[in-house]
Amino acid sequence: MSPVSSKQRQFDALVRGYSGDLFRYAYWLCGEEALAQDLVQESFLRAWRSLDSLRETSAAKAWLITILRREHARLYERKTPQFVDVDEVEVADAREALTPEGSGEDALIRAAMLKLDVKYREPLLMQVLGGFSCEEIARELNISSAAVMTQLFRARQKLKAMLGGEPIEAQVYELR
Amino acid sequence: MNCVEFRRQLAIDPQATSADFVQHRAECPRCAEAHARALAFEGGLARAFGVAAPAQLAEAILLAQTTAERRRRTNLRRATMFAAAAALVLAVGVVGMRAEAKPLSVQAVEHLHSEEQVLALTAPVAAAEVTATFADRGVALKQVPDGISFVAPCPVGKHRSVHLVMPTADGPLTVIYVADEKVARAAEFERDGLRGRSLPLGNGTLILLAKSKTEFDRVEALWRAAIAG
Repeated sequence: MSPVSSKQRQFDALVRGYSGDLFRYAYWLCGEEALAQDLVQESFLRAWRSLDSLRETSAAKAWLITILRREHARLYERKTPQFVDVDEVEVADAREALTPEGSGEDALIRAAMLKLDVKYREPLLMQVLGGFSCEEIARELNISSAAVMTQLFRARQKLKAMLGGEPIEAQVYELR
Repeated sequence: MNCVEFRRQLAIDPQATSADFVQHRAECPRCAEAHARALAFEGGLARAFGVAAPAQLAEAILLAQTTAERRRRTNLRRATMFAAAAALVLAVGVVGMRAEAKPLSVQAVEHLHSEEQVLALTAPVAAAEVTATFADRGVALKQVPDGISFVAPCPVGKHRSVHLVMPTADGPLTVIYVADEKVARAAEFERDGLRGRSLPLGNGTLILLAKSKTEFDRVEALWRAAIAG
């Protein structure tokens, strides 16, 4: 069996195993489905070129997310993004744009998540979607664990504030 | 861990499993309720984050990757072939330049060695054949010397030449007339046991090669008369 076919099989397994997770991560990073798909594809092509640097299969997801984040950063180096002032985006509008479901608690959370500043959104994504510990997030984001904990704390506070009055248990973390 | 610390940890990581976190939850009913609500909220977060990936995403990625890989290999193969061709052209060029760098006298001796069998010929060739061969090289002979046993339009290096053999009392004498290159002055040389003489004649160069140069003056005079008149 040739080394090339072995490498191809390893790559196939990575794509089939992690493309969905990576797409979700990319989507919440950039907020656009088509752009997220492009980011994931570019990230996997880059991963293919440096597949030999992946030593442990247990580190595959973190490795791919690192590549994705760098690809996302490169994208914004290459072009000037069309910024939208998220404060002006009505939750109701975002809810419509986001659905398939179009309504309900999931749509509200998604709309609120897109309004969350990326410095709060990204650690939360890494924890909830990626399953990373605070230490792993700190390493990936190159900040201290204490800073990660603060950002996670504030991310949930801000989400909770944006979801205030909805049927979600918005005050869940507060002492009353 | 007190209640404030527990709630802060709850907001940082509701899935925490540290001993003090678990112990406080077990001891404090209000915090345990808060923990249950937090887990419900986390479930909602995870569900909301779980946007569906596009259908056939993995297949699209694999198609892009295999296509890019095939293109890369094709380009690599083309580049390799181009490099090999370039190397071959370079090698041929270098060999050609090295060959061209040799003096006419050396090229003439090498040509003689490549056709040594014609030295054994003794039967005279027809004067018309000699005239025609020189004419093919753009040289109109004024007369044809006697005693020529071989004549052929040979390339010497890259030069258009006429190769002749004239048997003499001292053995066969090779005459090479290079029609398209004229040396600056006459010179004598010795190489591989052969004596030689090269001289400008007409628009070209006459080269005489033999074991001995005894007959060189006589044969030179014959060819001066034949070519220069």
